[in-house]
Amino acid sequence: MDKLLRDKKAIILFVAPAFLLFTFVLFIPICQSIYYSLCDYNALTKPVFIGLENYRQLFTADKTMRIAFKNSLFFLVFSVVTQLIVGLILAALLTNIKKGRNFFKNIYYLPCVLSSAALGLLWMFIFTPKLGINQVLAQFGIEGPLWLMDTKGFIILPMWVIASVSLWQYVGQSMMLYMAQISGISTSLYEASYIDGCTKVQAFRYITLPLIRPMMATAMSLNAIGSLKFFDLIFNMTEGGPNHQTEVLATHLYQQGFKYFKYGYASAIGTVLLVLCLIVTFIINKFVKMENYEM
Amino acid sequence: MSKTLTKQKNKSSLVVKTLIYIFLSFLAVIYILPLLWVIFVSVKDDKTLFVSPWAMPERLMIENYTFAWTAGKLGTATLNSAIVCVVTLVLCLLIGSMAAFAIGRLRWKFANVMMTYFLTGMMIPVHCILIPLFTRFAKMGLTNSLLGLILPYLTLSLPLTIFIMTGFFQGMPNELFESACIDGCSIYKIFTHIAFPLSKTGLFVTGLMTFVANWNELLLAMVFISDDTKKTLPVSLSKFVGPYNTNYSQMFAAIVIAIIPTIVVYCCFSNSIVDGLTQGAVKG
Repeated sequence: MDKLLRDKKAIILFVAPAFLLFTFVLFIPICQSIYYSLCDYNALTKPVFIGLENYRQLFTADKTMRIAFKNSLFFLVFSVVTQLIVGLILAALLTNIKKGRNFFKNIYYLPCVLSSAALGLLWMFIFTPKLGINQVLAQFGIEGPLWLMDTKGFIILPMWVIASVSLWQYVGQSMMLYMAQISGISTSLYEASYIDGCTKVQAFRYITLPLIRPMMATAMSLNAIGSLKFFDLIFNMTEGGPNHQTEVLATHLYQQGFKYFKYGYASAIGTVLLVLCLIVTFIINKFVKMENYEM
Repeated sequence: MSKTLTKQKNKSSLVVKTLIYIFLSFLAVIYILPLLWVIFVSVKDDKTLFVSPWAMPERLMIENYTFAWTAGKLGTATLNSAIVCVVTLVLCLLIGSMAAFAIGRLRWKFANVMMTYFLTGMMIPVHCILIPLFTRFAKMGLTNSLLGLILPYLTLSLPLTIFIMTGFFQGMPNELFESACIDGCSIYKIFTHIAFPLSKTGLFVTGLMTFVANWNELLLAMVFISDDTKKTLPVSLSKFVGPYNTNYSQMFAAIVIAIIPTIVVYCCFSNSIVDGLTQGAVKG
């Protein structure tokens, strides 16, 4: 038995396809991308090494980059915080009801499996100045704001709109993660607390919350990475407009790389994105994940 | 005394319950309404669209659908999406569970290192590899071909598959493999005849997740494919939006065509999808 499981040839045969694909399609391109970010490189020329020039330009001269960076950070904070709160509330409410639990769960999860490209177009229509929601408001004599065109304020209205839509689409995911973890908590813990005179809210605060803390770390880092990668909804709702005000890092990278063909410059944005992802995952896992409780 | 107390308690908990249900139903409406709105608008013509949100169309505009299907080339796009997703799905399940079997069941020194290597793939945003991958695929003639989409999709789906399947293989009882071994099974036969068929639930879950993710993927498809006949569904949707005039009712017909298959599949299996996804996610 042991000899069979230590068969070197079989091991290599089993792992090789995945390993080769991974190395050639993921890891070598990442290294290449980091190298390109140090080069002057576009569609017509060969990469020429120029050191940190791209990064210098990115952080000092590029106004759109500043907006994109601000928007991406806003997006990151907004989605991590709101998904945590709304997801937890939904999970707590749904685990407390019996009738219709599956029905509500399935409805809230539905947008997660739908194409965000299609949903982006749908919401773009709903927030068009003269159609959709403003048309409904006009029936009541209210003049709605220019949802996706407004550019006032530090975090402009379109960013709030897009962030809320993404909350609408993806909160089901967090809800499911929390629900799964909550249903794994043994009921005897709750029974004991009720005998001791705990209310439901107290039980949630002192039993549920500490016990699902490891899952909070997982869900939060998934949300954080997801929000940094965020592209489809913004691209289809505003394409980064008006006047680059709703640009995030991902759309900025796409613009620079595949509209202006500045490959080196776009790679630098990609590297910034990668570093951000790693830092955020590290921070969340460091501060949220505590020791695992026995359950 | 205690009776009235319990009565009061029951009453207040009933109020709380009703409030909870009202809140949940309100949310459910927010979730369903936009989707119903799409279907409603997709059978209007553009003129009644601008009159009033509730204006009924004079007749159902089925042409919107036929136009979107033929002139918008959604037929080809659906076929392309289906080819890419199915091929990716099959390869991903096979290659992924092979690697997972080696990591979870076979005994070798670097199993954990290999696992970490695959798992870091989950943290990496696809944007970072976009440019090197694009330039290399352009040289190899893989842009504008479905194979050029299948390769990155496959690679990006592998980490999750390997992760979930490793958990599955590790959870299988040892006796199963021991008895097969005593009967003289080779390691390959153990994989193909015992481990693989027995992990049906895991395969189902990972299969669904991979399929959904790839079916909806926009960025890679948009960068790699510029030929109209090779475009996948999410990419060809954005064609309906023009900078100067957008034909909303036709765009909505296209949206309906794009999301209906997913909704139908979701409704058929919703409980097992949701449970399966959670199972996978908990392990993740």
